[in-house]
Amino acid sequence: MKNRLRLLRAERGWSQADLAERLEVSRQSVNAIETGKYDPSLPLAFKVARLFSAAIEEIFLDEP
Amino acid sequence: MTCMPKNPAVRRFCFRVAATTSANIALNILVALCFYKFRPHGPAAYVLAILPAVAILWFIVAIGQYLVEDKDEFQRNLMVQVLLWGLGGVLVLTSAWGSLETFAHIRHFNPSWTFTFFWIFVGISVPFLNRRYR
Repeated sequence: MKNRLRLLRAERGWSQADLAERLEVSRQSVNAIETGKYDPSLPLAFKVARLFSAAIEEIFLDEP
Repeated sequence: MTCMPKNPAVRRFCFRVAATTSANIALNILVALCFYKFRPHGPAAYVLAILPAVAILWFIVAIGQYLVEDKDEFQRNLMVQVLLWGLGGVLVLTSAWGSLETFAHIRHFNPSWTFTFFWIFVGISVPFLNRRYR
């Protein structure tokens, strides 16, 4: 699944480690989500959306 | 600088795995010594012989505890993948070896080495998975 996580993170000037700390996950997890190698669960997707004050579908795109 | 994992669930898992693996090795040595020295037979021999496997059961419990305790879902997913590689490798190896024993009459494979080979396959899979998700 494609997502805008890298873009949103870059807009705030956060590193992957910064975002990982805010989401309470590992940096490896953030990287896997950003590169589309791992799709987060609904609870984690909600957490990401809350952090960026956006709707889930604005971050995670329902397209191949 | 420390090589201790930051994640407390991973740290606890590492301690538990070290304990179960050490227990497995210690019990294997102890059981071998008991059989060598006392030559037990009957029910005592059965109980002694299965003792090292109890440590493996403890290892399975440690995996379950880790999967419950780690809040990082991706790391849990990674752990499941690593374990599947270990289990898959051991299943393929023992099945292939069994067929080779039956049909090609090669040397007998002692199943008590299964746990060791499981760790070998786990060890092989970790760098590949780390590379994929670095």
